[in-house]
Amino acid sequence: MTGGRVPTVRHKAEATSHHHQPGISFRPTRKSDFADTVQQQVKHRRRQPASMNGVCNQSMVTGVTDFQRFNGFAEHPAESKKAMGQRALDTSRKESEDESKLPALEAAYVTILRGLGENTDRQGLLKTPLRAAKAMQFLTKGYHETVYDILNDAIFDENHEEMVIVKDIDMFSLCEHHLVPFFGKVHIGYIPSKKVVGLSKLARVVEIYSRRLQVQERLTKQIAMAISEALQPIGVAVVIEAAHMCMVMRGVQKMNSRTVTSAMLGMFRDDPKTREEFLALTKNK
Amino acid sequence: MERSNPGQLSQNEKAVGSARDTSVNGHLLEGVVKVRGRTAGSVGVPAETSAQPSSVMESWKEERTRSVEDNEMSLPSLAAAYNTILRGLGEDPQRQGLLKTPWRAATAMQYFTKGYQEKIIDILNDAIFDEDHDEMVIVKDIDMFSMCEHHLVPIFGKVHIGYLPNKRVLGLSKLARIVEIYSRRLQVQERLTKQIAVAITEALQPAGVGVVVEATHMCMVMRGVQKMNSKTVTSTMLGVFREDPKTRDEFLTLIRS
Repeated sequence: MTGGRVPTVRHKAEATSHHHQPGISFRPTRKSDFADTVQQQVKHRRRQPASMNGVCNQSMVTGVTDFQRFNGFAEHPAESKKAMGQRALDTSRKESEDESKLPALEAAYVTILRGLGENTDRQGLLKTPLRAAKAMQFLTKGYHETVYDILNDAIFDENHEEMVIVKDIDMFSLCEHHLVPFFGKVHIGYIPSKKVVGLSKLARVVEIYSRRLQVQERLTKQIAMAISEALQPIGVAVVIEAAHMCMVMRGVQKMNSRTVTSAMLGMFRDDPKTREEFLALTKNK
Repeated sequence: MERSNPGQLSQNEKAVGSARDTSVNGHLLEGVVKVRGRTAGSVGVPAETSAQPSSVMESWKEERTRSVEDNEMSLPSLAAAYNTILRGLGEDPQRQGLLKTPWRAATAMQYFTKGYQEKIIDILNDAIFDEDHDEMVIVKDIDMFSMCEHHLVPIFGKVHIGYLPNKRVLGLSKLARIVEIYSRRLQVQERLTKQIAVAITEALQPAGVGVVVEATHMCMVMRGVQKMNSKTVTSTMLGVFREDPKTRDEFLTLIRS
């Protein structure tokens, strides 16, 4: 494999090989990187229904189809209708239900305020339970949406096979261990294979996955897998650099520390030069 | 919950010169404080009109604070509340990543409000020294982390403190500890600034105190208007810092450099 881009020969070869294989791999006879990692993770057949966010956890992913189903994609066109019907079931939270959940959240916040020793009748705290409940719902609004809803309209056929990068996407998420924010920047790059996606949709994918209770590693992987599933590109790269308030405000209290995670799929994983180009282009001076 | 220790200084600050019963640490005895309009310039110079130091120190001694035992006792109910919240948000509290989250989140929240556990008098009493120094003393770039009392979302930023001593100086780290006590609470940035300034004034009776707080509010950055780069700056100038523009200028220049 040379350091250059994928030659057009590959597409002809792919046409004759497994048609449903995601077009990430360079060599048509080898299973794609994506399928590899997922198959390796198939240890248990146990599936947890409400674990919308646990799909990329090591023990949870039970196959490519499960991931696709949770995100609304169908592996085969015949399943697409079923997928559409399932789409309604795929989000663990509906936007219309948020209102009805508010009283329970408010009561919980009143308990918390009292448990901290605060006086919930003082002027500044009178409506705090309601505001905090709404804020928390906003900060976890990623559970409302699936990637399918967002991406499906904005995928275009375009004969472009050079790297596309969207960088410095501000990201705000909640640490699932302490319920404290972590925030930073996301850089996404992909090499399209006949299909490009609207640029703001990349930022929307980040929004969907980050507005949840998250772990930074899982967030990175979910973004990368969503893009690769939707577009079947030649390669996807996602780098996240974030500051974790759970480390800055409490615990070790290291103010200036940053956590960097990355996910490289396809060409970005196989070819070091491609990866270097992406990292050089996303480096901030 | 008879613990009335929350930061009542929003009403208290106007009355700090007049109501001798109210302690500067923000404990409010209901009904004692006269609530005046909340205008910036309405507080007279506390250095002159404040209660005598002894009575202030005594009222500081009477503060009721949250104790470590209180923390332990309220932990289960806090954890249960967080469990409710997780369910209400549509998450599955039984999945591996969330199993101990209610306890961790409750402990974290108690840490973020640990300012209620501490008393000013414990921190300051030992570190006030008589020193014949009457030039400005500044401690700047003190990292501050607080919680917005309206949305329960973090606020963080920097605090710059300057004061002109009047025969008494304070241990430098005690200034940072004062910031810690008042910021680790459910706060409003205006009140935080004022509480820090008033605490230093009450402890030292300096010629003047200036406090500038520059902070980013996550409630504005992560939600609502979502303005990433906005900062809120509040300041309190007491004594000479308020009256003499040159002193104030010197302070503001030195914290900017």
